[in-house]
Amino acid sequence: MIENGKIWKFTGVGLLVYVIIAGMLIPLKTGIESVKPSYGKAGEVLEIEVTGYNSHFKEAGNSLRAWLKWENGKAITSKSLVIKDDRKITLAFTIPENLPENKEVQTVTLLIDNSIDGTSVLPSAVFLTASKEKVLSEKVNWVIPGDFSNTSGITFPFRNILGETIRNTYFHVPLWFGMMFLFLFAVINSIKYLKKGNSEYDLKAEAFTQTGIFYGLMGLLTGALWAKNTWGAYWSWDIKQNMTVVALLIYAAYFILRASFEDPEKRGRVCAAYGIFAFSTLIPLLYVIPRLTDSLHPGSGGNPAFGSQDLDNTMRMIFYPAVIGWTLFGFWISSLQFRFLKLKKIQEDLD
Amino acid sequence: MKDLHFIFLLFRKEFLLEFRTRSAISGIFLYVISTLFVVYETFVKIQPNVWNTLFWIIFLFVAVNAMVKSFVQEKGNSILYYYSLLNPAHVLLAKIVYNTLLLFILSLLIWIVFIFFGDNPVKDVWLFLLILFLGSVGFSVTFTFLASLITATNQNATLLAVLSFPLIIPVILMLVKISAHALRLIQDTAVGDDIAILIAIDLLLCGVAILLFPFIWRD
Repeated sequence: MIENGKIWKFTGVGLLVYVIIAGMLIPLKTGIESVKPSYGKAGEVLEIEVTGYNSHFKEAGNSLRAWLKWENGKAITSKSLVIKDDRKITLAFTIPENLPENKEVQTVTLLIDNSIDGTSVLPSAVFLTASKEKVLSEKVNWVIPGDFSNTSGITFPFRNILGETIRNTYFHVPLWFGMMFLFLFAVINSIKYLKKGNSEYDLKAEAFTQTGIFYGLMGLLTGALWAKNTWGAYWSWDIKQNMTVVALLIYAAYFILRASFEDPEKRGRVCAAYGIFAFSTLIPLLYVIPRLTDSLHPGSGGNPAFGSQDLDNTMRMIFYPAVIGWTLFGFWISSLQFRFLKLKKIQEDLD
Repeated sequence: MKDLHFIFLLFRKEFLLEFRTRSAISGIFLYVISTLFVVYETFVKIQPNVWNTLFWIIFLFVAVNAMVKSFVQEKGNSILYYYSLLNPAHVLLAKIVYNTLLLFILSLLIWIVFIFFGDNPVKDVWLFLLILFLGSVGFSVTFTFLASLITATNQNATLLAVLSFPLIIPVILMLVKISAHALRLIQDTAVGDDIAILIAIDLLLCGVAILLFPFIWRD
């Protein structure tokens, strides 16, 4: 039997096991990775080689269909469709002389549908240059793509650039949430210490702060790894990254302050006051200043983050447990650290 | 009203202590001049965007050096008398007001020396004066509070820099941004919002400092 006080620890670990297994094993939805070449001219035959992601083109065989679609909804069907293997197909389109929009360069969306993978969409797949003269008597077979295949199975959405790194949503983001909770609890314990003067609260605040810094570093690391794959560099001097380092510096200074006191009672009071002061600067630092400048980070500068388009229901089923799981796990680490600090203090008192 | 009276008396005490010896202000004055001399010797000609950054960095270092002393006199036994007599919030507020004034004068001084050695890239003088004042408030609150925290330790100057530099970054980022506006380096219609955010940060820090000071001042 599990004791009452341990339920939350087991819940946290259980949720994390679920998050790691489901978050790492559920495949991505089929997507279109690249299109070559990505430009064409009106009135010519456009032959493109399409590379799919997690696709089963060969297996799908005859059920494969492809369209090029303009913004106004008009579309053309592919003229020919040659399957190389599961990931590569060559498509040919006869681009009409009279393009549907009145622009010199028009972008079209590529749609591919088959019975196994369902529909994949690549917006702005091909750039088309319009011809100067209009041809009067041209018959184009405009269609409206429809009758899409339904697929079963659980998948995560496929996003170009992001690719597999979308799984970082279950690590980077919840670690950051967890860090905020840990720092919040550190502050609550600091306030309790100032009010009651019980040294246990001081040790708790220290333990929570230590775990919070650890989570912050992990959040920074997972973010940097993700940024290497999407932004192209571990460190881009982005405002969010910079402010995170500043926040961690603020909390690192907390330990320098702790180390410079001999008297535990005085140390407790001063460090509790510093901890509360530091936490109150985190709010402008992490939530106000980054909003004032452009940032590459999701959620700012028009980048997607938690809109309905970006976090679909499958991801929600992993993401919310991940937040709870990582937070509870952080609390468990903190409680172990607290017991360690307490024993260390008893030993020091004995010496 | 009684609160204001106490704060004023404490403020006058700070002022008189400084005015009698003039040690801090003259030391800082020399610090400003020698720093700026080094800066102009090495840079020769300063572009407005560099000017903006240099100004605030020099102000930051001047402020740290000026503020370290802020609680030095508050050590020793004679100060026990204060504790039985005064409200800690009054002590802190008087110090914050005094330090704000001191920092504001110092920032004006830095500006004047900058103009004297080089030229003046500031286009919007009134906006710049406002930023100098708001910056002085933010610096004064943060540094005064942290200086009160570390008087109990033996390593004042380094520890104050280590603790305060990360904490002052939100304030200094806002200052650099708004002052770039005063130098006409950027055109931004939302400068009023930035000023409002800066005031909000100043007030937030001030409020937290006043709440926490009663717990730490009896050292």
